Amino acid sequence: MIEAHQLTRRYGEFTAVDDVSFAVDEGEIVGILGPNGAGKTTTIRMITGFLPPTSGRVTVGGRDLFADGEAVRRQIGYLPENVALYPEMRVVEYLGYRAQLMGMARGEAASAIGKTIERCLLAEVAGQIIGTLSRGYRQRVALAAAILHEPGMLVLDEPTVGLDPKQIVAIRELIRELGRQHTLLLSTHILPEVELLCDRVMIIDRGRIVASGTPDSLRESWVGTTTLRLTLKEAGRGAAETLAALGGVTAVRPGEEAGSFLLDCAADTDPREEVFRAAVAAGWVLLEMVRERASLEDIFVRLTTGDEAVAGAAGGAEAEPESAAGDSRPESIEEVEP
Amino acid sequence: MRSLMAILKRELRAYFFAPLAYVVAALLLLVNGAVFWLIVSYLNDPRAGIGAPLELFFGQTVFFWLVLLFVAPVVTMRLLSEERRSGTIEVLMTAPVSEAKVVVGKYLAALTFYVFLWLPTVVYAIILSRYSEVDWGPVGSGYLGVVGIGGLLLAAGVLASSLSRSQLVAAVLTFAIAGPLFAVGFLEFLFTGDVLRELFGYLSLPRHMEDFSRGIVDSRRLVYYVSVSALFLFLAARALAAKKWR
Repeated sequence: MIEAHQLTRRYGEFTAVDDVSFAVDEGEIVGILGPNGAGKTTTIRMITGFLPPTSGRVTVGGRDLFADGEAVRRQIGYLPENVALYPEMRVVEYLGYRAQLMGMARGEAASAIGKTIERCLLAEVAGQIIGTLSRGYRQRVALAAAILHEPGMLVLDEPTVGLDPKQIVAIRELIRELGRQHTLLLSTHILPEVELLCDRVMIIDRGRIVASGTPDSLRESWVGTTTLRLTLKEAGRGAAETLAALGGVTAVRPGEEAGSFLLDCAADTDPREEVFRAAVAAGWVLLEMVRERASLEDIFVRLTTGDEAVAGAAGGAEAEPESAAGDSRPESIEEVEP
Repeated sequence: MRSLMAILKRELRAYFFAPLAYVVAALLLLVNGAVFWLIVSYLNDPRAGIGAPLELFFGQTVFFWLVLLFVAPVVTMRLLSEERRSGTIEVLMTAPVSEAKVVVGKYLAALTFYVFLWLPTVVYAIILSRYSEVDWGPVGSGYLGVVGIGGLLLAAGVLASSLSRSQLVAAVLTFAIAGPLFAVGFLEFLFTGDVLRELFGYLSLPRHMEDFSRGIVDSRRLVYYVSVSALFLFLAARALAAKKWR
């Protein structure tokens, strides 16, 4: 349906998107996941034809988005991140304007508007002035405008950002509904959203795709890698070094509380026994030892925090995080699950 | 065509649903009404020279220019700047509509609104026709000049609005383009060489308007307005297409 070929976008010296290629097939729901500032919006703006790439190209159904212009753009419905609408217009007026802008004839427009209002559950605010609507309704109006002309491809940039939990549930429900009829590309920095909605995920960081696959396959490629969570009492300063020296342990990170450690283990190893013996030998009291399989969230956090050793293990994904620009890393990802 | 109409209609609606339109309309009527009244009372004085009131009204007071140079920036400053500032430009430019259609649609809306602003002044001519003979030819050509020169300044405003996301900057920029367009004719007096003198004389908008008010329609001037307006609109469309600025 839509293909991105080696998209690169620079703003002056800064490279926002670096050599990104991907394809979205007919009927798929694909999520672009990444921390804020990873290049999601820039990628989406290039996909929708708003921003020309510095190099690379976008094709929709085999036709070039920038060369073939208007006819190709008609196949894409776009919900931008900042949900900009004309505040002085009424909902039906705005949809009427959009229909006319899309080149629909009067009768065609009227039936499309009626249908869209119903699909987006806007009937009760159809006559209201957009400026008076809540953020949730505005999001739905913008979404209605995006699907009005029945585009084959729907591109949603952060469709749930800025909504309250109840509105998020409603908009997700609507997106899932739309996913049955449209090819969907959506960006988000919220993990559960991807798991809930998407067939396939691309994790993007610092302008590059660092991993991609179905949520399950991503998890699967990480099944080999496990994390041991330890809580030790009376562990001295050298504990971390001792643990790191154990066979199969690739990295030791401090846990949330004093005396707790997170041990990343290489695939197909189980250092639990060695940990126990080391604890006995060193005279530590072992309060807790839990083996955890990597969640999608762990994968995401590790892939996007520039941990080379871990990121390099991502099965098949091109992962080359550079430490140069790594100062502004996000602390954690936002969890908004009602 | 349909998408151009969509933009035109939306902009007109935006004009009439915003208080600015009424403020501008009221100011324009106030100034024009006062000028008309002054002219009529001046001509009523037996010591005054002979003249047609509307000829004076269109061509021969400086108020006309004060109003025009103020109206053009105010009417056009919002057109593209606001779309950029609020972000609606994103869904507008990703819709299947060319930059040229967006620019022309918005320009035509501004021009329509501008004509609407001048419409009430037709009443002056009607009032005059009840008390004396009105020569409708010069009145018509006066309005032609109002629309032609107004259209030129509005096109400058559309260009300015395409260059900035700030309405204030757009308005100042319009003034910076419209001011010299208006004033370039005055340079005529600074040159002794025939060619330059003649050139600046040709470009003098106040002189154009003076002729229009007398009923003289010079097609070269109309060509000048239309071609320079078209140039401004073309540049505005190019500025809109230069997406690297966003």
